[in-house]
Amino acid sequence: MAIDWHQYRCNGYHDELFEKPGQPRAAARRLVDYLGNLGAAELAERRLAAELAIKIMGVTFTVYSEGRNVDRSWPFDVIPRAITSREWARTEAGLKQRVQALNHFIQDIYGEQKIVRDKVFPASLLKESVNFRPQCVGMKPRHGVWAHICGSDLVRDLDGTLYVLEDNLRVPSGVSYMVENRLVTKRVFPELFETGSILPVDDYPAQLYDMLAAMSPRPGNQPSIALLTPGIYNSAYFEHSWLARQMGIELVEGPDLFVGDDDIVYMRTVYGPKRVDVIYRRIDDLFLDPEAFRPDSVLGVKGLMRAWLKNKVALVNAPGAGVADDKVVYAFVPAMIKYYLGEDAILPNVPSWLCMRKKDREHVLANLDKLVVKPANESGGYGMLIGPRASKKEREKFADLIRANPRNYMAQPTLSLSTAPTLTEDGIEPRHLDLRPFILSRGDSVYVTTGGLTRVAMTKGSLVVNSSQGGGAKDTWIVDLDGETEPPVQVQTQAQKGGRQTQSQGSAARPARRRRPG
Amino acid sequence: MLSRVADDLYWFGRYIQRAENTARAIVVHSNLVLDLPRNVAVGWSALVEIMGVDDLFRARYGTGYAEADVVRFLVLDADNPGSVASSLASAREILRTVRESMPHETWEHINNVHLILQEGGERLLTRSRRQDLLQHVLDAALMTYGILIASMSHDVGFQFMRLGTNLEQADMTTRIIDVRTSSLIKPRAADEALRPFQNIQWMSVLNSLTAYHMYRRHERARVRGTAVLRYLLQDREFPRSVMFCLNMIGATLPKLPPSRAAERALERTGAVVRDANIERLVESGLHDWLDEVQVGIGKLHEAIAASYFKA
Repeated sequence: MAIDWHQYRCNGYHDELFEKPGQPRAAARRLVDYLGNLGAAELAERRLAAELAIKIMGVTFTVYSEGRNVDRSWPFDVIPRAITSREWARTEAGLKQRVQALNHFIQDIYGEQKIVRDKVFPASLLKESVNFRPQCVGMKPRHGVWAHICGSDLVRDLDGTLYVLEDNLRVPSGVSYMVENRLVTKRVFPELFETGSILPVDDYPAQLYDMLAAMSPRPGNQPSIALLTPGIYNSAYFEHSWLARQMGIELVEGPDLFVGDDDIVYMRTVYGPKRVDVIYRRIDDLFLDPEAFRPDSVLGVKGLMRAWLKNKVALVNAPGAGVADDKVVYAFVPAMIKYYLGEDAILPNVPSWLCMRKKDREHVLANLDKLVVKPANESGGYGMLIGPRASKKEREKFADLIRANPRNYMAQPTLSLSTAPTLTEDGIEPRHLDLRPFILSRGDSVYVTTGGLTRVAMTKGSLVVNSSQGGGAKDTWIVDLDGETEPPVQVQTQAQKGGRQTQSQGSAARPARRRRPG
Repeated sequence: MLSRVADDLYWFGRYIQRAENTARAIVVHSNLVLDLPRNVAVGWSALVEIMGVDDLFRARYGTGYAEADVVRFLVLDADNPGSVASSLASAREILRTVRESMPHETWEHINNVHLILQEGGERLLTRSRRQDLLQHVLDAALMTYGILIASMSHDVGFQFMRLGTNLEQADMTTRIIDVRTSSLIKPRAADEALRPFQNIQWMSVLNSLTAYHMYRRHERARVRGTAVLRYLLQDREFPRSVMFCLNMIGATLPKLPPSRAAERALERTGAVVRDANIERLVESGLHDWLDEVQVGIGKLHEAIAASYFKA
């Protein structure tokens, strides 16, 4: 039985696939027609096929509270989300601009601090930043890049505007799921990809490899690159292993590496020590090197900072890059863009109130029931207050937290995140979602993924899309409507009508090969 | 090749081989029990003995050696580190950490059989379903081995995996022979009743190592004890014979960074197996001699670990 899309209600939110009930947006038209014709029963079957594929492919995600249970299948919704390539081109330009400004900022902060001297960025903020690393002062990483890999979270509000919600500059994750989501979708809905207007996403590992190679302190040599993981109990281990495999680089754990007396980083191999030029590290700053940071870290490598400061090894992202990955510093990004690039921000920030400012703080405390309050340095959606959904007690607790440490909190209006049709236990229903594109910076060029990872809050009405809190994902399509061609028309040839082709008919059907000009 | 990864691949090879041999031993024993008359039926304790986990078994299940207990212990018991489920879980855990150096399908097969064991549980152990379950294990192990041979680069990592496979097989073969043949060679009074069934018991020894058909083609004669032993211990062409496995290790070591210790350990054990006079050992001393071979295999393992994994 065909799906009646008129039954699908967007409840007043901006929907990614529908302008209004029964009327799909341009980028989604083909998708909606296709799913409609498929019918509910067939769609349910494809969903089972997708779940099976994910289970068999072993796409997993670990949730910390589940202890040693490291296998949770990646929660995936089969209905893709679609964006036109025109809208994406603008978004891409905005992301590039943003990341360039952020890299300028980090370099400036660990260098001359001009932006502080010019009073564009408050000195007090820096003093109390938990992600500022004094160990990095004076360092100039290759090509001036600190945040080589950035994952920015985008959300769409009621009026359809895409806002940047935050920039993840430490160890952003999710990109492997972006690629695997596409593989699953192609397995489940192969028919949809026949027209070729959905742009591919699988270029990322090659782009990442090129970027990493460009950071090698020994240009000209075949670089030796390793991905440093905390190990199999980390929630993103699947991704670490996936990326290492896709790029053909070594996947190492702390004890596999050591720093020699020559300040060079080596890995322990069956042939003896082998030099490492570039480390794509997926462990936090504070665990990187027990000599420089937490002495109790068993995940890191003793002397790693020493090697990095002497430019014997590249660390990606650079230690200390997190100074710009702070929900309070975030509010200054538009100012940074103006300051370093002399441009206006292409992508808007979500309006933010900084509790360090007296006036803002008063506003926040008076409107806790309407706002979302975030601590400056948490990720994964932990430690947040969603005012309209919180109890009175929770709000009071947060008011105390804010008064005790205003620098650590900022607040934003509760956004009405956009929705998209999602296959739930009760049929197709709208669920809220966001989008995390990944941006790679090499210094001379910046690459943005085609789309990104769409995360969806699987619980009805929920706004929390984090995978660590039960969120799921969707395949994200950037659809090239300009280049879209009609599906190839089946032209019946004489041969198909009349049976077996003879030799002469066959060669007549093919264009004769042109003679080489003599 | 990281030392840690080499270690993992070596153990991956061992775990897969161990799971396969254990599964096969249970299948064959189940068949043997059906073939023997009720009043003389052999018990299930021999299987536990083969795996060298007798103490652990008695601590958990006592000394009854009931079929259901033994099968559960050897197939599913997570507390038995040598059970099929434990071996596969360990292999899978390793795959998770070395996934980037293995062909993708390896994971799918191991993961699949792991899930069957975890989800199916006890109800798959009844006599009627056991065969299917264990066949899954055998298939997954052989598929994995086949995939690795056919689509993994035969690089250093592969060689370590192959070292593990062959070392484990050599060890398993000696264990199976040791336990299975003690009562066949010198039947005690109590075993007299089994005498008429000696033939099918020797066949089951061969079957435990998938050697029956190959043996027949090789010997072209009826099954005889000494010839069976010579075949399983010294044949140079049968891939589960101890000699063959040691020779494979001998062919693999030169592809790795040189290790005198491993070469010496291999030479020593290789000579013990090659030079043995099986006829005389059958008369007396087979058990002690098999012990010597097993200790030699253990030393070879230690030499490999010290040379490559503790860098």
